[in-house]
Amino acid sequence: MIDTGIAGAAELLRQAREVFHGDVAALAVVDDLDNRLAGPLRVAVAGMVKAGKSTLLNAIIGEEIAPTDAGECTRIVTWYRYGHTPRITLYPFVGGPTSLPVTREDGRLVFSLGEFQAENVDRLVVDWPSAGLRNLTLIDTPGIASLSQDVSGRATAFLLPEDAPMAADAVIYLMRHLHASDVRFLESFKDTAAGQSGSVNALAVLSRADEIGAGRIDSLISAAVIAERYSQDQNLRPLALGVVPVAGLLAQSSRTMRQADFDAMNMLAQMDRNQRERMMLSADRFVRTAGPAGLDQATKESLVNRFGLFGIRLGVALIRGGTSNPTELAHEFARRSGLGVLLDTISRLFQTRADALKARAAVVGLESLLRESSKERVEPLKGALERLQSSAHEFRELKLLAALRTGGVGLAGEQEAEAERLVGGRGSTPALRLGLDPEAGPDQISQAARSCLNRWRLIAENPLTEPAALDACRIVLRSCEGMLAAIPAVR
Amino acid sequence: MAETARMTTLVEQAIALVGDRNDLRRRLENTLNRLGDPSVRVIVVGEFKQGKSQLINALVNAPVCPVDDDIATTVPTVVRQGDPASAVVLVPTHEGSRADASPEGEAAGPDSGLERQAVSLNDLADYVSEKGNPGNAKNIVAAEVSLPRKLLAGGLTIVDSPGVGGLGSTHTLTTLTALPSAHAMVFVSDASQEYTEPEMRFLGQAMRVSPNVACVLSKTDLYPTWRQIADLDKGHLSGVAPDIPLFPVSSELRLQAARLQDTELNEESGFPALIAHLRNHIVGGAARIQRRSVGHDVLSVTEHLGLALHSELGALENPEGTPRMIAGLKAAKEDADALRKRFARWQITLNDGIGDLIADMEYDLKDRLRRIQREAETAIDHGDPGPAWDQFTQWLEQSTAAAVSETFVWTSERAQWLAGQVAEHFSEEEVALPALKVADTGGVLDPVADLQAMEDGRLGPLQKVLIGMRGSYGGVLMFGLLTGIFGMALINPLSVGAGLLLGRKAYREEQEARLKRRQAEAKVLVRKQVDDVVFQVGKQLKDRLRLVQRATRDHFTEIAEEHHRSLTESVAAAQKAAATYAVERDLRIKEIRNQLKAVEALGKAAQQLQEDVPTQLISPTTASAVPTG
Repeated sequence: MIDTGIAGAAELLRQAREVFHGDVAALAVVDDLDNRLAGPLRVAVAGMVKAGKSTLLNAIIGEEIAPTDAGECTRIVTWYRYGHTPRITLYPFVGGPTSLPVTREDGRLVFSLGEFQAENVDRLVVDWPSAGLRNLTLIDTPGIASLSQDVSGRATAFLLPEDAPMAADAVIYLMRHLHASDVRFLESFKDTAAGQSGSVNALAVLSRADEIGAGRIDSLISAAVIAERYSQDQNLRPLALGVVPVAGLLAQSSRTMRQADFDAMNMLAQMDRNQRERMMLSADRFVRTAGPAGLDQATKESLVNRFGLFGIRLGVALIRGGTSNPTELAHEFARRSGLGVLLDTISRLFQTRADALKARAAVVGLESLLRESSKERVEPLKGALERLQSSAHEFRELKLLAALRTGGVGLAGEQEAEAERLVGGRGSTPALRLGLDPEAGPDQISQAARSCLNRWRLIAENPLTEPAALDACRIVLRSCEGMLAAIPAVR
Repeated sequence: MAETARMTTLVEQAIALVGDRNDLRRRLENTLNRLGDPSVRVIVVGEFKQGKSQLINALVNAPVCPVDDDIATTVPTVVRQGDPASAVVLVPTHEGSRADASPEGEAAGPDSGLERQAVSLNDLADYVSEKGNPGNAKNIVAAEVSLPRKLLAGGLTIVDSPGVGGLGSTHTLTTLTALPSAHAMVFVSDASQEYTEPEMRFLGQAMRVSPNVACVLSKTDLYPTWRQIADLDKGHLSGVAPDIPLFPVSSELRLQAARLQDTELNEESGFPALIAHLRNHIVGGAARIQRRSVGHDVLSVTEHLGLALHSELGALENPEGTPRMIAGLKAAKEDADALRKRFARWQITLNDGIGDLIADMEYDLKDRLRRIQREAETAIDHGDPGPAWDQFTQWLEQSTAAAVSETFVWTSERAQWLAGQVAEHFSEEEVALPALKVADTGGVLDPVADLQAMEDGRLGPLQKVLIGMRGSYGGVLMFGLLTGIFGMALINPLSVGAGLLLGRKAYREEQEARLKRRQAEAKVLVRKQVDDVVFQVGKQLKDRLRLVQRATRDHFTEIAEEHHRSLTESVAAAQKAAATYAVERDLRIKEIRNQLKAVEALGKAAQQLQEDVPTQLISPTTASAVPTG
């Protein structure tokens, strides 16, 4: 049952190839969609300027390759995808793709555009041999609400295209606090993206969580509280599937921690407490004040740049608390940074339904292609398309999910929450849908699914249930049945 | 302050000299009143979570403004000099809230309709923070804190404002409406990133109202790259206006420095530079302007006085030149007379200008609101307004408030410009402009009734059943009778089936009809609301513009009157002198010489007062930011 969507979409594309036989432009589009269907899920990282998009991207990839800077940095939409050998390809608006030399400075890539101007470049594609990219293609976008209009414009054009389906399947939206610009963007994102794909597929991230409490050691706890508040926020709930606090800098440096970093922090931890605290009052003081012996200014500067004051404070506290080797420390950093939760959430919300999302994207792409083509030629294809759209259960689940998040379907509150969970609002595996322990065995799952099925049948049979709610019930029932059918026969 | 005392004595001396010239006396008394109120308001603005409250805490070194990891400040807090330390909150009194709706000439009584409740300084956070007072449920207008601090002794008053740019964009409005009463603003942005587009937009908007601005880059302790950010920000600021100063500061370091009594740390926090700026440029600037305007007033009074004395003296000392001098004076008097007349050119300019302004303002307001109405109607057409009515109301309120404040700012700018146009008719090299307060939108929307509530369109089970029954009744009867022909009972499967079908259809139709009705109702409500806003706000704006007209007219008429009277007196004095006997003449000459000496001494003192001002420090921005009224 899980495969109907993607198989159906592939079949449709095969048919389209026959129909458009000889039409080079259309075939190119079909090829593109085919690639998209076959390739990994595409997740765009978006947000206001300096929200920490590139830093988070580095953290997810596990390598400091995306360039970051104190000022505004990312100016071109950049794709990071898996490749066996590092390669950078530049796609200009006019003309064919060009290869760029792969140069790195301090580990970070340097994009030398050569004779191209940034405004003439459609996108950069970086192939990188990193395990993190194997089943996820990441897209770095320029910041929204930038002072340079064309940079913001480029991000908007990519994320909210006016005439084409969006190139990304899902969006991680970074924000520092919920700013009016954030809500505006997410609203228009939902309008275009949900209008075309019938789903809410944005995940909000409360970024730079370490800075929320002015770098105090309990900042992350505050951040979690704030994220929780935002996830209940009336304005944000219909727009994003959840809010996760992440300390991007901490996450990035946890993935790239070296023995030298650990040694430096260890030295700091050995210092006299008062002296250390005085030194760490400000980043400037930290770099300038001499000591401890063996730690020169350059090292301290790189330390504070990479970890931030919060990172160093946390590191010192952890070492004093008994952490004794870099691996352990990196592990602890990663855990506290919220990166793990974020990756889990991504895989739960997006990866588990990657097929549905990809199939959906292919169908939408095909639809817009058909709209532009001559009518009689594509008539049979149109029929098939419509059949797939209405029959594929995944699509209907996505649609219901969007409806549930955006305004409800007329069920009681707790029923809507349950429906949301059952159609995969918190993740697509049966255990998650049923709200069970992830380790639950097939017996437990089948039992829970059966009881859900019965309960929802009762709701559906209630004559007072409204038509919209009834449709929702049917989809929920079908999801329950699907779960039961997928359980291998244990009898 | 010694400065103020010196100016006060100067003005008092001038009052003693004016004798029976009531017009001049009134002017000087106004000046004296102005000297009595030394407060200089500095409002701290910026996006939320930039460290505004902490900045103020660090400035006065006391936790007067609540600081939190989540959005903290919801109510503006005023910090000023006072001993002992105390705090009050301002809440609207229930009976008095309507009384001050009538437009008054001056917003002199801002506390009318407000009640002052003393609270303990420690409990203040419960009143002004989002945590203690979520969404300002306690309905507090402002909080005031008095602290004994050297920094505040010069009359400096610091206002903490709720951050702008959040979801409650009403905060932006509250902040903008508070700006016209401020002498200067401090714009705070933290060192984590350079200015964003919304920040610059807000700064531009705010600078139209209050052009005297200092920027602060906060939290420099946290970000190693703050120097880079400061450079970037300076670049952005130079694009807005030249000479906007930027002060990188760290509140954390300052508070630590105060705790440890560490001057080096204090130096490093960047606060000394900011405080010096507040003292020298903002408080000092305000004082300089005060001094300049006092000097100007006294000087012009001495000129008026000197004119009559000089002409009399001339006539006494040089009797044969008297007729020519009188002719010259008469011609000048005629000119002044022309300015005084009702149909003087400047009067026409003023009347025409105000007429145009009112028409333009009405058009502008209607145009803005019509655009909102159109947007609202599209939104209503696209969905069911019932369930989302609360959100919708909020949106409508915010966008109308924003539109109205835009219109006000715009009207204020035009009114100032008009006053300048009128002033050009006066040949005197420097005519003081009247103080106009139009941009203040506080309370403008109060008389507008709230948008009415609407049912959310959900049907209860009983209603559903009733609607269904009503529809199915006909079906059952019809088919029951029809099938009765074939000998079936009235209630049989066929008739029941038809009843169900028809009932369902009726239910669906009813739903659609209700939706349509709700949409129509919502549109009517929106239209009514917009009409109401246009009506009420238009009236208020018109009233204010009339007041502006009156104030401007009175202001300039007074100037014309003064001229006229001085010249008349000069003519009379000269004529009298011509007819004086020789013995009396010598006495009179002596008398006049003495008086002239006093007047000239005063004039010199006034000039000195004006020239004390190091001219390069008075930039045009500081000059226009200080209300003179």
